[in-house]
Amino acid sequence: MSSATEPLGRAGRASLGGYYALLVVFLYAPLVVIVAFSFDDSTIAALPFSGFTTRWYRAALHDPTLLDAVRLSALIAATNAVAATALGVLASLGLSARRVLLRPAVTALLVLPLVVPAVVVGVGLLILLDEVGSGPSAGALAAGHVVITVPYTVLIILPRLRTLEASLTEAARDLGANQVVAFWAITRPLMTPAIVSSLIVGFTLSFDEYAIASFLIPPGERTFPIFIYEGSKVPQQRPELLAVASLVIALSLLLVVAAEVGRGRYERRQVAAGAG
Amino acid sequence: MTPAGRRLPPRLGQGWLVAPPAAYLFALLIFPIVLIGLYSVFLRTNLTGVVAVFSFQDWGRFFPASWGELPWRTSSPFWNTFVRSMGVTVVIALATTALAYPLAYFLAFGTRRRRSLLLLVVLAPFFTSFLLRVLAWQVMLRANGVFNSALWELHLRPHGEPVSWLINTWFSVGLVLAYAWVPFVALPIFVSMERIDRRLLEAAHDLGAGRLTAFRKVTFPLSLPGVVAGFVFVLIPTTGEFVTPQLVGGPGTYMFGQAIQDLFVGTASDWNYGAVLAVWLTVVVGLLMALSGRALTMDPRR
Repeated sequence: MSSATEPLGRAGRASLGGYYALLVVFLYAPLVVIVAFSFDDSTIAALPFSGFTTRWYRAALHDPTLLDAVRLSALIAATNAVAATALGVLASLGLSARRVLLRPAVTALLVLPLVVPAVVVGVGLLILLDEVGSGPSAGALAAGHVVITVPYTVLIILPRLRTLEASLTEAARDLGANQVVAFWAITRPLMTPAIVSSLIVGFTLSFDEYAIASFLIPPGERTFPIFIYEGSKVPQQRPELLAVASLVIALSLLLVVAAEVGRGRYERRQVAAGAG
Repeated sequence: MTPAGRRLPPRLGQGWLVAPPAAYLFALLIFPIVLIGLYSVFLRTNLTGVVAVFSFQDWGRFFPASWGELPWRTSSPFWNTFVRSMGVTVVIALATTALAYPLAYFLAFGTRRRRSLLLLVVLAPFFTSFLLRVLAWQVMLRANGVFNSALWELHLRPHGEPVSWLINTWFSVGLVLAYAWVPFVALPIFVSMERIDRRLLEAAHDLGAGRLTAFRKVTFPLSLPGVVAGFVFVLIPTTGEFVTPQLVGGPGTYMFGQAIQDLFVGTASDWNYGAVLAVWLTVVVGLLMALSGRALTMDPRR
């Protein structure tokens, strides 16, 4: 292709490159500000800097309310990850069958939570809890998180299942394995990468979820996002929040990089295996 | 039916396996929405000592009895809130799509080898906590926050006089929502641009089209499905948004999602009236989905 047919000239490429750089600054500025002021020795995040300190980190790591909130969120997030992934695996196995009763309706139902506003999901579950005579609880919140996580797990696991060589499972059946054994020995290991991604997504979605939690959390209890939200209203608590926020940002960026590196490795191995 | 002689694709699973997840979503999503519907017409209520009898009374409260000179200045305060926040949502979705388009264009046509890295860089902040990023903006935009104190330090404004519109305004709500959605909106636009057959651009060039004409006649129309998808990606979640206006908005930026939340868990709760608003929101989102579904399946060549 000659350069004149390229959709971007040199000037166009340069100005769009500049635009990209500006957007990156815009996207990362809040993260940088959080980290920078988490080390600032002042209760108010404002310029000029008052001096370097790590005391907000120490305060955060010794705050029982915060630690309880993180523990509760981790518990709910882990429950959500496992339950939603299990439902996602079932749904994907079901949808990959030749014949499914009411397939279009079932498929629509499985992705419906993506388009129902979170506030409607929260309100609906609140009314449901009232109807069955129990109030808000951490268990109800986990159940609500599963509702909004299932579409993601299906969208992660189903495409992976579709690329699997179905003939492998068939060979296992021909060699005398029953359906369960064939699933466990062949399908399951080949699905592992998708299941791991699904667990990670399920955990992070729940760990960061505020909207539904604001309806279903019992009074006096807090998940991590509820703690952040309440803390943002209390000025004295802000430096501590910035310290926690820095830790969370560092962790999640690490996770993104690790996932990307892992994916690259896995794909190279697949290519190498395919070539060998 | 499969044509005779052709082998059926071997099955990996069995159809009945979808039953548990489908039943779960039916019980915890569809059924609750039906309950909201029953609440909205007073067939159920959480009020004690009140007999639930079918009534459109709360719907009557929501739809304006008298229309003022403007659709957001009627006799129904919650209707006004709805119209105002829908308007703001559309503006935010348009602005976000406009901001994301050049980004997608750069990623699709301005990069080659480092494309996946450049894409990852803009997507990575999306994987950090949304609430924490909103909190960061609150810290930056506050009256004695980072922006204002920087202006004072640089002697661009007299000390102690913050810029009044930085926070608790539609500006701050719009800025934070656009910030949150830009990378997400760029993604479908980028995908639709990547799908464009480069030979079409060559053909345009061979037929004498300059870069601008080629963009106008080829690239832009073919990227429209991605644009519509990105626009809807913002529109749908923003229509029910209540976290961002709570954190960086003010009394003047009361949004429909906040109204629903207040009617259910606020001090002056009224579940039956809140249910009317929730049903209305669900209907509006459903209509938006149906409309965008039609736009997405339209053939751009026609």
